[in-house]
Amino acid sequence: MAQAALKDTSVKEFEKKQEWWWAAEKKRSKRLDYLRKAIWKKGAIGGLYAPGVKVDLERAQLHTQKAKEMEMSPDAYVIKFAKMFAHILDNKTIFITDHAQLVGYTGSLPHTMGWDPSAASILNEEAFNDPTAIPDPVDVNQKVIREINNYWIGKTDLDKMMPVFDMEDLMKMLSGSIGWGVPLARGGYSSKDYEYIMTGKRAFAAIIDELDRKIDEVDEEVHQPGANAEISKAYDKLNNWDAMKITLEAGIRIAKRYARLARIIAENFEEDPKRKEELLKIAQTCERVPAHPPRNLQESFQYDIFIQMMSRTEAIEGAWPSRPDYYHGPYYDKDVNIDKTLTREEALDLVGEFIIRAAEVCQFKPKWTREGLQGIDGTWVWTIGGVDRNGKDACNDLTVALMQAARLVRVANPTLSFRWHPKVKDEVMREIFECNRQGLGYPNMRNDPILVANTMHWYGHPIEEARLWANQACLSPCPTTKHGFQPMRMANATANCAKIIEYVFTSGFDPVVNMQVGAETPDVATFKNFEEFFAAWTLQMQTIFSILVRAVNRARTLAPTMTPRPFLSGVSERSIESGLDTLDPSIERGNSWITAFTWVENVDSLAAVKKLVFEDKKYTLAQLKEALAKNWEGLEEMRLDFVKNAPKWGNDDDYVDDIMLRCLDEAAKFSKVLKDPSGNNWPILPENVSGNIHYANIVGALPNGRRLGDALYDGGISPGPGLDKKGPTAVLKSCGKIDHITGGRAFLLNQRLSPTQLAGEKGYQLWSSYIRTWADLGIDHIQFNMVDDATLRSAQKDPEKYQEVIVRVAGYSAHFVDVSRKTQDNIIQRTVQGLG
Amino acid sequence: MKCIECGHEAPVSDFRYLYNARIDSSISIRQCMKCQEWIAVDEIKGVATQKIGPGEAPWGKSAGIEGLAEDARQ
Repeated sequence: MAQAALKDTSVKEFEKKQEWWWAAEKKRSKRLDYLRKAIWKKGAIGGLYAPGVKVDLERAQLHTQKAKEMEMSPDAYVIKFAKMFAHILDNKTIFITDHAQLVGYTGSLPHTMGWDPSAASILNEEAFNDPTAIPDPVDVNQKVIREINNYWIGKTDLDKMMPVFDMEDLMKMLSGSIGWGVPLARGGYSSKDYEYIMTGKRAFAAIIDELDRKIDEVDEEVHQPGANAEISKAYDKLNNWDAMKITLEAGIRIAKRYARLARIIAENFEEDPKRKEELLKIAQTCERVPAHPPRNLQESFQYDIFIQMMSRTEAIEGAWPSRPDYYHGPYYDKDVNIDKTLTREEALDLVGEFIIRAAEVCQFKPKWTREGLQGIDGTWVWTIGGVDRNGKDACNDLTVALMQAARLVRVANPTLSFRWHPKVKDEVMREIFECNRQGLGYPNMRNDPILVANTMHWYGHPIEEARLWANQACLSPCPTTKHGFQPMRMANATANCAKIIEYVFTSGFDPVVNMQVGAETPDVATFKNFEEFFAAWTLQMQTIFSILVRAVNRARTLAPTMTPRPFLSGVSERSIESGLDTLDPSIERGNSWITAFTWVENVDSLAAVKKLVFEDKKYTLAQLKEALAKNWEGLEEMRLDFVKNAPKWGNDDDYVDDIMLRCLDEAAKFSKVLKDPSGNNWPILPENVSGNIHYANIVGALPNGRRLGDALYDGGISPGPGLDKKGPTAVLKSCGKIDHITGGRAFLLNQRLSPTQLAGEKGYQLWSSYIRTWADLGIDHIQFNMVDDATLRSAQKDPEKYQEVIVRVAGYSAHFVDVSRKTQDNIIQRTVQGLG
Repeated sequence: MKCIECGHEAPVSDFRYLYNARIDSSISIRQCMKCQEWIAVDEIKGVATQKIGPGEAPWGKSAGIEGLAEDARQ
């Protein structure tokens, strides 16, 4: 929008037109406005990065340089790894954004994406083959990348691990038909032991002291007369502790480099006295944290950012599990309410900047990840609200400030996830509503009592720990405690579940990748009744889940020695105490889950087969098999019969809802047969991110009436777009039939509501009553899109004008213009539910 | 079927199937192999009904929107 038009239009006028992004731009402070506009758009647009965003060669070069230097070193691998980490932190280029109060970034420059060349050659080759992401001059830098890649061939984590995997499982998984991602313990979603590191009791310097004590104590023990198995293990522990210490010391050093930079700018270049003061405050902050515990809100946020930056230097983290109001809230309270060193406006600026610093974080990802997470780099889902370990309401002033700041900065990532419970105050609920009404698509709502019980049921976390959960990725609650936190959840335990029903028709042969992937069940045409058909479905489900879980289990078993994480271990109480890498399954309670992409297609397809083939006998299985093989081509009337004349999930129809429950029951039973390396269960978690689009050309025609190429359903338990004909309460009633404690890990439900209908106090009351029904039915999750058809279609026609429109895709939000046309159409197609 | 843009004629199945407009509708989006235009196709009649540019939705309004006063007027 032209600056003049922006100036002449009032906030109220923009709000009336529901152009929230312009209203936010006028409402936020000059500092926030600058910072918001100073970050680069890092989420991939469809599957490609935005112009100007480039792979960070500096980090890759530093990493490679140190690796080469240490090739002949006698150090244990974990020590070498820690030294590479330290080398990167000690030598990377650092910067401070103008007007910023917080510092720290994963790349060397604001437009770069961190690239870890030691993770996987298949990732490195993507860097080589993506000229749009290679820095200029492309031809020169492509050669640089080639040299880096050549060095790492056979030496990356995945390259080293592949020969010790089961090759058949690995090939099926890497075919891309049933899974999503690679089994790599340095690539996925890392929860953190925030109870250890973020409660103000200790920071890096105190941990280093503790490590020195441990090292001295054990070093003395191993040199006493005697020999036994414990002493043999102690040498590994000593290496791990040494490696942790190396990384923490490097963490303190880089913070001091930021402090020095801030002082240099303040004392030599900055002329504005106010900014000079701010730079000196940055210097003091970085001299304090992460070496010592924070004393105020700025230090607390800075400490968190440093930990995230370092963790993302060590691994490719695709999520941002955190609970910012819970851990930073006491500092907000101290600064704003007790000491009054910050006004609410100043605090809001700091909160907004904290969100912006997270929004700019990016690590180079392969295309399959980008397509499955269109518009964002990873699922930075920040958990707010909820209860404390004693079950008391944990909402505080920062809970509200985070939502207010989110409306001002309007980034698609991070998003907020609210832990609803019966004691949440109305003022907090109104903030949640306002964020959603203003089209952010967040916070989503999580049913806390249900999820605490669920967390205890599936993994046996004690109630005091279960109450401290944060989303580990989009939806999976994970306690932020010593034995409760899961240091890595690998993305490849993500099942493309529509293949389950597809394989029933192909006897497990995958026509897209042209190989036998599923179980060799009998020819579908031979099934005499629905029970035989369902038994084949169950076997295919078990087969797919097993392939994925076996690979993850293998990777987790190998991880402590082959892909250690000394930095993450250094901020984990259990590793400091035991000397074991934090990825060692023996010191974790286990919090694994299978993400079930494209789940509901199974339910609608099974219902269609049961009704039209076995009950109405309108078609034979042979005819249906042939129709699917032809992709329904020339069989439109038959296809529509399967869509319109078979019950569909989401309409409070027991016929199909019972099939959903039966499928979940089979999955839940098998979840307890599958065990992770900690000995715990693998429940399923139906959700999709934008996998429903990624898999559109991988999943063949299905009995629910879908063709190869069509978008799959958008949510974990969301009905098919346009197939929920009976209104919002019927959707909730269907979803409420699921036992959200024992039926699975969590269940994603997308709902689209009308922003016009929900305007004003009446709108809030309608939504509020809808949420009460949702809670009463014991549903664990719900999230909303409140952007009307007209705006979305206008954004398709004139994307430049609607750059800031945000939509809820699945477990995350994205700018509408950054998702593919197919995803956009899929979002528009979703049923708009009228409340009341 | 005849392409609404360039007039190219071929069996419906020769036009590249992209995706459905809505699963419960007989309208699909296909691409002409000659001019590359995206077109809406009535799959029962085997007829191209319109070109599909950005912002155009051959399926009409989103499901459910009919009951919502303000949105329905737009």
